[in-house]
Amino acid sequence: MIEGSAEVMNSLGIHARPAAQIVRTASEFDSRICIIFEGDSVSAKSIMGVMTLAASHGTILKVTADGTDEEDALNAILDLIKEGFGED
Amino acid sequence: MDPVLSASKLTVGKLIEEMSSVLGIRSLSGATGLSTNLKSPDISRPGMALTGYTHKFQHLRIQIFGETEITYLTTLSSSDRISALRNVFDFPIICSLVTKGLTPPDELVEISSDSASALLVSPRDTTPLIHDLTDYLEEIFAPRDSTFGTLVDVYGAGVLCTGRSAIGKSEAVLGLLDKGHRLVADDRVYIRRIRGNLFGAGDTDHSHLMEIRGLGFIDVENMFGIRSTKERQQIHIEVRLLEWGRDTKNIDRIGIDRKTKGILGTEIPYIELPVIPGRNLALLLETAAVNALLDMRGISIPEQVESRLIERNKRNAGKNGKDGSL
Repeated sequence: MIEGSAEVMNSLGIHARPAAQIVRTASEFDSRICIIFEGDSVSAKSIMGVMTLAASHGTILKVTADGTDEEDALNAILDLIKEGFGED
Repeated sequence: MDPVLSASKLTVGKLIEEMSSVLGIRSLSGATGLSTNLKSPDISRPGMALTGYTHKFQHLRIQIFGETEITYLTTLSSSDRISALRNVFDFPIICSLVTKGLTPPDELVEISSDSASALLVSPRDTTPLIHDLTDYLEEIFAPRDSTFGTLVDVYGAGVLCTGRSAIGKSEAVLGLLDKGHRLVADDRVYIRRIRGNLFGAGDTDHSHLMEIRGLGFIDVENMFGIRSTKERQQIHIEVRLLEWGRDTKNIDRIGIDRKTKGILGTEIPYIELPVIPGRNLALLLETAAVNALLDMRGISIPEQVESRLIERNKRNAGKNGKDGSL
């Protein structure tokens, strides 16, 4: 299992649209991917889970990936968060 | 067969046959002009043309002689009346209709007979007659199309269920009928656009017949009773069943990015529903229909969720001393 972290860059934080992007990206990988914030760990493949994190702008999210494609999976999710989901 | 008469088959005689009970129309000119085809769903008031102003005169429409036209004609001398009517009947006239039980002047009877166009009369007042006539004609002249799919009325929402053959449309719809919803058409849906809305109906002879693989034909009315079928229904939403896999990678997860589909130039909400073993399609279609009903009332759950989340993220950003400005 590997892990990394990223800061939420977009001003609105993780609302429904970014959550959907995370889930869509995570679902392309076989690895088990989790997002951890303030002690809560949720599956990156669960839209309700990602939404309930209520991660606002500037928070640091920890991401873990475990599986055969864990490296690509981790990078894909971290890039998405760092790039602010294509939002401001 | 499309249950609605096609415009190309609508003759003046057919119009009388179909509308005599509603509009009390009858022919004063016998069989003259009854085989002429109607060309337009619109009507014309020939008043201006009678006075000699024939620019933009719509001679291809039904000419309605109401009280205005008839009263005007009676103020003229017989020779002036003939020349007034000539202004109109120098054009090829489809047919004329005298309303309100008024007696057409002899010159009108003669001129329409000479021009081989039918002269009709009705006891009905002009304005309500025009409304009823236009309703009828609009339906017949409405843009039409037909599509493969199944149309069901779910709590008043018309759900057009489409998808490739054998994907399970009919089975899903069978589940809806079992829940008490109503079948409008299976397999082939005839669609018409009337005043911007889409209406669907089935084949005149086989609309409530379904074919279920392995069972053959099922007569829905016999099986589920008269309440389970409906002749015609407005189409509010199209739900397309898709095979799970390649096509469903980008399937909507939150329902916030609405898709629409254009049918005959009218856009309706469009949903793609992946079919996976174990999914209760009837329940999903019912849910999609209720969601569409909520939408029509201006209640959008995904948008509410989205705005709540954004609010909460803003509050959290403030609490953490982070920049929460938007």
